[in-house]
Amino acid sequence: MKSVTTKTRNNLPEGTIRPGRRQFLKTAMKAGALLALPQVIPSSALGKAGAVAPSERITLGAIGIGGRGSYVLGCFLHEEDLQCIAVCDVRGDRRKRAKDMADARYGNHDCTAYIDMRELLARDDIDALLIATGPNWHATASIMAAKAGKDVYCEKPCTKNIAQSLALADVFRRTGRVFQAGTQRRSLPNFAYAVELAHSGRLGQLVTLHAHPGGLGTSVSGWLPAEPEPPRDQVDWDAYLGPAAWRPYNRKLLDGFNFEKGGGMVGGGCLEWGSHCVDLCQWANQSDDTAPVEYEPVNGQLHARYANGVKLVMRNDGWLPLGSCPVRYEGTTGWVETGDDAEFGASSPDLLTRRGAKIPGYPADFHVRDFLDCVKSRAQTRANADAACWAHIACHAANVALFLNRKVRFDPQKCEFIGDEQANRLRSEALREPWRI
Amino acid sequence: MNVANRHFIGLVLLIAVLAAAAAVGQDQATKQRELIAVLQSNAASAEKAITCKQLAIYGTEEAVPSLMPLLADKELASWARIALEVIPGPAADEALREAMGTLQGRLLVGAINSIGVRRDAMAVDGLVQKLGDNDADVASAAAVALGHIGGDRAAKALLQALTRSPAAARSAVAEGGVLCAEWYLAKDQPAEAVRLYDAIRQADVPNQRRLEAIRGAILARKSGGIGLLIEQLESADKGRFGIGLRTARELAGRDVTEALAAELDRLSPEKRPLLLLALADRNDDAVSPAVLRAAQGGPKSLRITAINILIRLGDVACVPTLLAAATEGDAELGKAAQETLSRLRGKEVDADLAARLPDAKGKTRQVLIELAGQREIGAALPAIVSSIEDADAGVRGAAIQAVGVLGRDQQVADLTKLLQKTAGSAERSSIEKALLAVTGRSGVKSVPHLLPLTKSSDSSLHIIGLHALAVVGGTEALGAVKAAIAGNDATVQDEAVRILSTWPNNWPEDTEAGDALLRLTQSGAKMSHQVLALRGYLQHVRGNTKLSNNQKVARVMDLRPQIKRPEEERLAIAVLGEAPSSDSLELLTTLAQDPAVAEEAYSAIVKIAGAETPGLSKEQRQQALRMVAEKSGNNGTKRRAREALSKI
Repeated sequence: MKSVTTKTRNNLPEGTIRPGRRQFLKTAMKAGALLALPQVIPSSALGKAGAVAPSERITLGAIGIGGRGSYVLGCFLHEEDLQCIAVCDVRGDRRKRAKDMADARYGNHDCTAYIDMRELLARDDIDALLIATGPNWHATASIMAAKAGKDVYCEKPCTKNIAQSLALADVFRRTGRVFQAGTQRRSLPNFAYAVELAHSGRLGQLVTLHAHPGGLGTSVSGWLPAEPEPPRDQVDWDAYLGPAAWRPYNRKLLDGFNFEKGGGMVGGGCLEWGSHCVDLCQWANQSDDTAPVEYEPVNGQLHARYANGVKLVMRNDGWLPLGSCPVRYEGTTGWVETGDDAEFGASSPDLLTRRGAKIPGYPADFHVRDFLDCVKSRAQTRANADAACWAHIACHAANVALFLNRKVRFDPQKCEFIGDEQANRLRSEALREPWRI
Repeated sequence: MNVANRHFIGLVLLIAVLAAAAAVGQDQATKQRELIAVLQSNAASAEKAITCKQLAIYGTEEAVPSLMPLLADKELASWARIALEVIPGPAADEALREAMGTLQGRLLVGAINSIGVRRDAMAVDGLVQKLGDNDADVASAAAVALGHIGGDRAAKALLQALTRSPAAARSAVAEGGVLCAEWYLAKDQPAEAVRLYDAIRQADVPNQRRLEAIRGAILARKSGGIGLLIEQLESADKGRFGIGLRTARELAGRDVTEALAAELDRLSPEKRPLLLLALADRNDDAVSPAVLRAAQGGPKSLRITAINILIRLGDVACVPTLLAAATEGDAELGKAAQETLSRLRGKEVDADLAARLPDAKGKTRQVLIELAGQREIGAALPAIVSSIEDADAGVRGAAIQAVGVLGRDQQVADLTKLLQKTAGSAERSSIEKALLAVTGRSGVKSVPHLLPLTKSSDSSLHIIGLHALAVVGGTEALGAVKAAIAGNDATVQDEAVRILSTWPNNWPEDTEAGDALLRLTQSGAKMSHQVLALRGYLQHVRGNTKLSNNQKVARVMDLRPQIKRPEEERLAIAVLGEAPSSDSLELLTTLAQDPAVAEEAYSAIVKIAGAETPGLSKEQRQQALRMVAEKSGNNGTKRRAREALSKI
């Protein structure tokens, strides 16, 4: 079969936006660049056509605003029908920077900065939250926010284990709040187009899905030597630890993601990019309400299998040069591969004739817009809590297989590993007092 | 080495040992004994913490006594609960219940939370007691734990607490009540669930708790909840309207769909589109008529919402409605309708649109042609081709554009003929665009149809012909371009030279272009022709795979007197940098004397002198690299030069 690969470029770090790109994205959004995407909510239906009165704006609070959080907050701040009125970070420097961002956007000093997120959650004038803390806090903070009546856009990975994933879906269903996982590739046309090829049967019957996990190593959490704790206004260590088991202050743990690598029962593994790429495979396989039933480490890869027979391969190598976070969908009559450069590889050029707009650099703007539209319409977002729940369960189950270094079988109905007590014990982890989900 | 570091290293070793043990399947009992021994020793907290995590995987009830004391340790309580929450059997439950009787404050809250996670029904009495604790955090934890455990006793206690508990614990009590209601639903006791939901939605609890109870009360009643659902949708309260929209998507049943569709007409105009969106998410066939009706008339925002929804729900039956909306004259409606028509799924939609085209007139014909192009409906091509000379400019323009998308080699002839009949520059421009697109797909089959254009006395037609031929490439196309350069029409000549100068980039296999360009560097009628030819020729030399490196360098040396401006110097440097030899190094050294291109030349020199090349002596390489290390203003280039020097 003759294959075709479109032109490629160098990768960019997560969130990079080139000068002048913002305008391009705004134009692309207006021009309907996301034609491959399923959900269309007209602006006129949501009352955002034309200028938006302050009383009609969605009010936002932003929690945990480091590097990634600043980027996503920037995407929010560009929206005309939104006003960020509160920020919260346990680190003083980040707290000030986030408040300055919001104040600069609105030309005032009205944004309130908090150390303790519970004070922010108690405000009844906040509609929605951006949660971009370290992964240790993601699920707990999201669930607390939903219980406080807020809609939530939460960065990935959204959960630390299978139990948290299920709780996230349960709580957002029970509370009727809107949730968007920060898996913004669900809102980008190249990934949506690849999924559409899988759904429409143009690849034939799906056989194998490939996801780049961004790592497959797992470990148990650790504890670094104690260092003198900074003043609370610089770092509130107790708040930073939050639901993670106690350990003494050490500045190296202030890197949220490194903390997660050592903060969970089964840290690291495939959650870095898996929460994106496995999620895209879940979508392609129309498995937003289930997960693979078998997981097995095989020669540095993780092979999983869905109940419908489709195979899911998580591998770090062997990808076409199409940018970071690649996925590949193989069917009985064709295949397609795409990545963050928004280019494609495919078994035939005919598969790519209606590929739509090319939007490289994995911007979050479209995903943020989808979230805000759903805050108004109360519809499900593209990366809603149920979809995020099952994509994360697939990743966590893979991590359990990697950690135990053996094949595990999983029952998605009962959400338990079959005949495997050790694996089942890895489904959850107690939260430090007083936190609960 | 300080104590903390020793502990840390010890911890790392422990992790390594335990991980290895997991891999090889070490006997679990032995492993557990080792882990318990760590907890009972004077080991540092760090070691005990990780030991707790290991016991969470490998521990049994035997480990519980050694974990219990840690529940009172502020540093290790959460680690101990990691194990106690998952170790099977009653011992862990008993340990946590016992802790509930002795602990206070946060540690007590933690123990209660773990009891809730384990759903220990034996703990209900103790939890009911804690429901009245003076510490609101403890009472709240107990309420939620009771909710997780469920059952009549828990439900009764929570119902009572709903009115009696202090305000600070009321939210958690309501949360526990909602959880209990879900427990009843899971046990197929909806009446009990409804009783709880109704009590909570009428209680003095935070609004979010009431909304959750409203949702639960509607869903638990099934069709009987329609009235309550409608009440929310009609509410002026934003939160209640919101939970109504959410629940409208969840409550199953065709009667629900019909009730919601009927409600559509009763709601205020600003609410209708939002309810329509909720209806559309119900995956119920009964929704489609309501959506189609909304698309046909009424407030514009509702119509546009409906039209957009039809992208997902619509089928061929929606085509007449959408076509009418697309052509009724409102720009916003028209755009939405056409967008939906372009994306409606199904081959039968293509067939329907193609069948309508032959008899359609005016705006409808234009829209149908545009849709045929957007949907790539090949069957519509004959009708579209017949419209490229339509009297209606809108129809004509749409047809020309669609031919660009769908046309084959025969349409090259159609478009060529049309070009010859068309005078206006704007229309010619759109025909040219279509022609280039069709030519690109048809390749050499297009050439016979295009050559007549190059015989035209009309300069612009001649130029369009050359552009189209340049899309095809090959000997005949190149011949036409060369003939145009040799011709008398100065405008055509200028454009032909421009086309020829880029030929090597587009058609590197057409090596004849090189000779033509070389001749033109000397004999070009204008200086601009000579400059363009020189640039094109240098690109030709660079990309010509039939030339050896020495031949490439020789070609550049021959042209050296003409290479005077930075633009051409850069092209020469690009050729030389890829053709390592003594001569190329010498030539690059000369080019480096021009400050405008010096850094490019230095970089190329490092590339050549940094590697061994036959005919290039070590001394020559060293001399060149020293020169670069000394003169380059680019730190990276300097560094690379020094590194290369150090390796020679």
